[in-house]
Amino acid sequence: MLIMALIALAGCSTEFERRFDEAERLRAEAAAAGSEWLETVSLLEQAQQAASRDDLDTAMELVERARFQAEMAVKQAAHEAETWTGRVVK
Amino acid sequence: MRKAAAVLGVIVAALLVQQNALAGPEEDRLAFVAYFESRFPEIPFAQFANGIYAIDSDARKQWLEIEEFPPYEFAVERGNELWHKALPDGQMLADCFAAELPDIRGQFPRFDVASGEVITLEVAINDCRIEHNQPSLAYDSSEMIDLTAYLAFEARGTKVDIRVPEDQPGALAAYESGKRFYYSKRGQLNFACADCHVASAGQWVRADRLSASIGHTTHFPVYRSKLGGMISLQKRFAGCIRDVRAKPFELQSTQYRNLEYFLSYMSNGLEWNGPGARK
Repeated sequence: MLIMALIALAGCSTEFERRFDEAERLRAEAAAAGSEWLETVSLLEQAQQAASRDDLDTAMELVERARFQAEMAVKQAAHEAETWTGRVVK
Repeated sequence: MRKAAAVLGVIVAALLVQQNALAGPEEDRLAFVAYFESRFPEIPFAQFANGIYAIDSDARKQWLEIEEFPPYEFAVERGNELWHKALPDGQMLADCFAAELPDIRGQFPRFDVASGEVITLEVAINDCRIEHNQPSLAYDSSEMIDLTAYLAFEARGTKVDIRVPEDQPGALAAYESGKRFYYSKRGQLNFACADCHVASAGQWVRADRLSASIGHTTHFPVYRSKLGGMISLQKRFAGCIRDVRAKPFELQSTQYRNLEYFLSYMSNGLEWNGPGARK
């Protein structure tokens, strides 16, 4: 029983790391496009802190918020690359 | 036949849109000025240099009273002393600038062919210090703000005349980069600079009205009452970027320098009237 619980916990931790890496990759992509949002780094830092105290539920929630923000920032940059000219005063 | 004509029409329209978006700096500026003169027909062109105080008459009255005892005066005085203090090698900051005192402010921002970058007044001051073996000043340091406040004060009454030389492709690229930044939405609130300061200029945001972008760059650095101190133009850029919940860039980053280049060009023909006082 204890071994199964430890295996499950290790699985969650691995899943957290996978999601964290994905969120960080998207954040870096948004930053490279000059489109990073204000809170993303802070959310990632808070997620890491939660994970380090084994609060994986909170860590997963925070990393998901960071990933969502980063993904939206990347999409925003791509959308603006196509549409910004429509806003130019003519 | 009709279908072919429709397709051709769409292509021509698309090309026209593209051409307008990529219009040259002077076409951009004329359109910019025409837009704000149409939005605010009662405001004389020269008044746009006063930002929101050209638009909001109540705020203007308060501002005029503040100007009787200008809160930026101490910065100007300190800047005067710093400017005239000899560097350790006996040279003066003024020796780095090929212009008379009232014209130094107006030389910047300018495109520098050698570095391929926009040089702002702050960068030029630091370049001069480095040339004379002095450490750079932090861009938001009181020394830098004081020096730029003094040079802005000395430039009062001269006209903004920023150049984007046609024979320097790098200059046009920097201008276009600043223009793109200005019109691109960013941050969690999905706002472009233009959303507030073009489309919504004059509208209320809580207890304040949004200023028009024309004239935005003429009066910095400014004393901000709510902060109780002076801030630079680029610090204000960073504040706006943060307000739309995007991550601000470093002061004097390429992004902000290009934005300053674009916005300064848009204010050509207005008077330099810094330093200023704002809420």
